[in-house]
Amino acid sequence: MTKKELFFIGYLPVPQKLWLLFIMTFLAFFAAFIFSAWAIGLSQNDPGDGRFRFDLGRQTVSGVLETLPYPMIHVTEGSSAIDAGETLMLSGAGKFGVEPHASNLSSTSISATGIILNRGTLRMLQISNPRRNLSVVENQQSISDPLDLGRWRLVGEICDGKCYAGAMRPGRGIAHKACAELCIEGGVPPVFVTTKPVQTHEYLLIGNADGGPISDTLLEKVGIYVSLEGRIEQRGSIAVFLADEGSLEVFP
Amino acid sequence: MVAETLVFLIQVWLGVGALVAGAFLLIGIGQVDEDAHGAFAFRPLLIPGILVIWPLVIWRWWVVSTGRDINRHIKAAPRRSHGIVTILLMIILVGTLLISFAIHQERSINIAPVKLDMS
Repeated sequence: MTKKELFFIGYLPVPQKLWLLFIMTFLAFFAAFIFSAWAIGLSQNDPGDGRFRFDLGRQTVSGVLETLPYPMIHVTEGSSAIDAGETLMLSGAGKFGVEPHASNLSSTSISATGIILNRGTLRMLQISNPRRNLSVVENQQSISDPLDLGRWRLVGEICDGKCYAGAMRPGRGIAHKACAELCIEGGVPPVFVTTKPVQTHEYLLIGNADGGPISDTLLEKVGIYVSLEGRIEQRGSIAVFLADEGSLEVFP
Repeated sequence: MVAETLVFLIQVWLGVGALVAGAFLLIGIGQVDEDAHGAFAFRPLLIPGILVIWPLVIWRWWVVSTGRDINRHIKAAPRRSHGIVTILLMIILVGTLLISFAIHQERSINIAPVKLDMS
């Protein structure tokens, strides 16, 4: 067989003398792909058990809306899957929050309808159309003042609360950084996930020291381990970390 | 800052590539390849490639249009380097993957919160 006859073309039968090479090459590539998949999978962080709870259906609750640092509802009248007394962070559809519609309803009692996202003790309500699914109710109620838990130094990661709660898998870490930044810029409430729980809280809703949304300085450090100091307030069932951006330290 | 610099450099590269593509496809390609005389429909298809490898296009344009082109030389050098380039590419790809796994922030940090005051 001449060299010319050994030339392989995909749409013609494999020459007899090339079968062994063909099989060996196939097996080598197959093994390489399996090894690569195993090695890459092994290097990834556990994505956790967070997910959308579509199985629970749309939930409608009533409660008092608080908009700073990010929108959350203190539930006064629960649903089949949400108890009265629970505080839920609120997110819009996709990479958006429920602002600016929610800002007009600050400190008022509202009805909210949405889908739960749940990861451990972190719960969020996704409200796909805030204009339709956030509405003022007649029976206005008030919320108790925040409980000051003191000033703390925490180590952990700033994540967007929606992806971390299960909208994305993984929803944290450097691989998810760009998505998290877009989500937070879009108004999705960010959370500070600590390396060890603060009292009983494994995550805290994070805002700026002035009580508003986080600054660009903190936004740039999403997805990596940082150390931050700030006050922690208990607001309903959620701990809110009002971080001082001047204390920011990035871990190597 | 690094990302902004990279994006800027890529923009400059593609910008120069666009100028080269315009000049080469309107003027140069006829000098380089006589088969391109009067053929225009295929030329826009070359734009994406020229945007990326415009220095090579300029070099080839200059070599061919100045009569320095000797087919044997042109094809011999790249062919000689195919083997080493293939090996280098494999090393770069695998190395990039391994380095990306190795150079990342330590994820096993486990530091307890510290309460700084009670006020």
